Amino acid sequence: MAVDDKELTPRDTEAFTPTTAGRVGRAGAAALIAWLVLCYPTNILSPFTVGGVEANAASEAIIFAVIGLSLNVLIGYVGTISLGHQAFVGIGAFTSAYVVTEMRQEFFIAALIAALVGAAQAALLGAVSLRVTGLYFGLITLSYGIMTQESIFQIESLTGGTAGQPAPRPIGFESDFRYYYLCLIVLALVVFLDWRLIASKGGRALLALRENPRVAATWGINVKAYTVLGFAISGLFAGLGGALLAHRDTNVVANPFGLNLALVFILMTVIGGLRNRAGVVVGAAFFALLRNGELLEILHVDSLFARDPINLTAEVMPLVLGPILLLLTITLFPGGFGQLTNAVGRWLRGGRFRFVKADKEVQITDVRA
Amino acid sequence: MVLAITLSELSRVLVLGVINGAIYSLIAIGLVLVYKASGVFNFAQGEFGTIAIYGSYISITTFNLPYGVALVVGLLAALSMGLLTERLVIRPLFDAPRVTLLVATAGVALLAIGVEFWRTANDPLKFFSSIVNSPSSLDRVSPFGVAVSDQRLITLGVLIVAAVLLFLFFRSPLGLAVLAASQEPVASELVGVSVRRISTITWGLAALLGGAAGLLYAGGSQFSPGLITAAVLIPGFTAAIVGGITSLPGAAAGGILVGVLQALGSLSTFDSIKGASFVSVFIVLLAVLLIRPQGLFASRS
Repeated sequence: MAVDDKELTPRDTEAFTPTTAGRVGRAGAAALIAWLVLCYPTNILSPFTVGGVEANAASEAIIFAVIGLSLNVLIGYVGTISLGHQAFVGIGAFTSAYVVTEMRQEFFIAALIAALVGAAQAALLGAVSLRVTGLYFGLITLSYGIMTQESIFQIESLTGGTAGQPAPRPIGFESDFRYYYLCLIVLALVVFLDWRLIASKGGRALLALRENPRVAATWGINVKAYTVLGFAISGLFAGLGGALLAHRDTNVVANPFGLNLALVFILMTVIGGLRNRAGVVVGAAFFALLRNGELLEILHVDSLFARDPINLTAEVMPLVLGPILLLLTITLFPGGFGQLTNAVGRWLRGGRFRFVKADKEVQITDVRA
Repeated sequence: MVLAITLSELSRVLVLGVINGAIYSLIAIGLVLVYKASGVFNFAQGEFGTIAIYGSYISITTFNLPYGVALVVGLLAALSMGLLTERLVIRPLFDAPRVTLLVATAGVALLAIGVEFWRTANDPLKFFSSIVNSPSSLDRVSPFGVAVSDQRLITLGVLIVAAVLLFLFFRSPLGLAVLAASQEPVASELVGVSVRRISTITWGLAALLGGAAGLLYAGGSQFSPGLITAAVLIPGFTAAIVGGITSLPGAAAGGILVGVLQALGSLSTFDSIKGASFVSVFIVLLAVLLIRPQGLFASRS
């Protein structure tokens, strides 16, 4: 695939009407994407048969997309780095499991509480970020994430200790296929909220203060309030993602919420393309499917990597492949997957298919330091 | 919670804290060196140590090299990783914002952990023998009635030797050039200091320190992929911050302090708090950054 790095030429911006064949092709491609997301994982209108394992893997991809959007709010909008995002997600997961199992509440109430608890702890960190910025704040989040896993997630009365906290699925969504749709609904909700946030005054304020907090302050933007708000929204999304993750697995244990997970979250968001909703969703889904091995299985290359001299298992794959993609993203393709999804989106809406070099807007490099 | 601490427990915790702190100091000094040279928090510093352990381990088990030679091979592995990181990641991103560099070094660490997991997938837990292997090496010396193994004594010794060597190095012309380049890169170029060469030297030094820390930490115990990143990196960063991030003596002292504070968290009094040693490190980091970001040992200016 040759990536064309040209800037937009007049040819790209001039009015362009696709031919009839072009329209059919675009409609077909759109239908294929919709089928892949809506039908394939649940065996509807599908010549293939997938099992519960595959449906669960697809659910994980959707949940990772929610988490990616959450991290995108912090890195992309607020302009700060979180190396402890696994703690945000884990807190949501354990809260939801606790509310359902120990307090005997409905899943939906539990998910709401998980989202609120996630928002509250993120807002606290946001308050810290007002005093400690940049690299130093990155260290605090790193230490916070490890501390949470080693300390809070080990309190037996809250998390069930090493046995974990049971998290049964909500009534009506017990099957793996139905649960996938629940995840999709939550993702749609998060995408909608994210879109409305950025389209509103609050979102514009966030973007302005990321660029330059002092200039934003002179324009009358309450820098402190909006920074904390950004953190709270990120925590809200992460809490929701955590709740979904907990009830997908039907049991939460502390072990997976380690530093490796936090780094995978960073990788998928940055490689997905900051401030690019579709890119982040695709990047997150890509890493989730790479992690649980489903992507290789669908492409029938899993046996290729598992064979003797290579022996590359699925769990290790993102750790080996991710950093390489990350370095490529940082140095050559600052738009990440977003560059690709932008081109596809423009084409689907009836434009030409052109890769456009990400403008300065879409870069990891402008996180405040 | 009853505050009942016996004297013997306290002395045990303090002695072990100081010795663990020596490892943190070695990592913290490496972090400070890199921070001064490249202005970045090097998240790969811990992995220099883990790579050194794997290098030595493979030399011993696969190539049957003697222990001393294996240690050198391990240090060389760390050194090459440090130089490669500097050449392939840091230099192309020389003008990039610092957070990009931070993410990039985190990527390097993750890649190293990934490769370690990948190559040891069947049996990730290995044992690395200690430098001195005899029954008496475990408790030959016992200050305050606390048995200290030779391995730990050597760790303390290496820290002191490294500190003295660095002290002398920064009095030498090359060391002065390193200091100059970190303070005024442009002016240093003008007087004939090659900032690039200095950057290479600094990363090499940091990688050697990280490698030494890893080899000393793992000796006589089990290790697994990402060990030093998981166990030492955060206390090491905390030590560097406590010392004011640019001060080498500060980092050394900070390491000992963090080691002792973390060990205090493991007192049986705090058993009711899960993971108290992690909480104590987090609180120290948070408190120093919020209240005294210039570090504990800096004079107010």
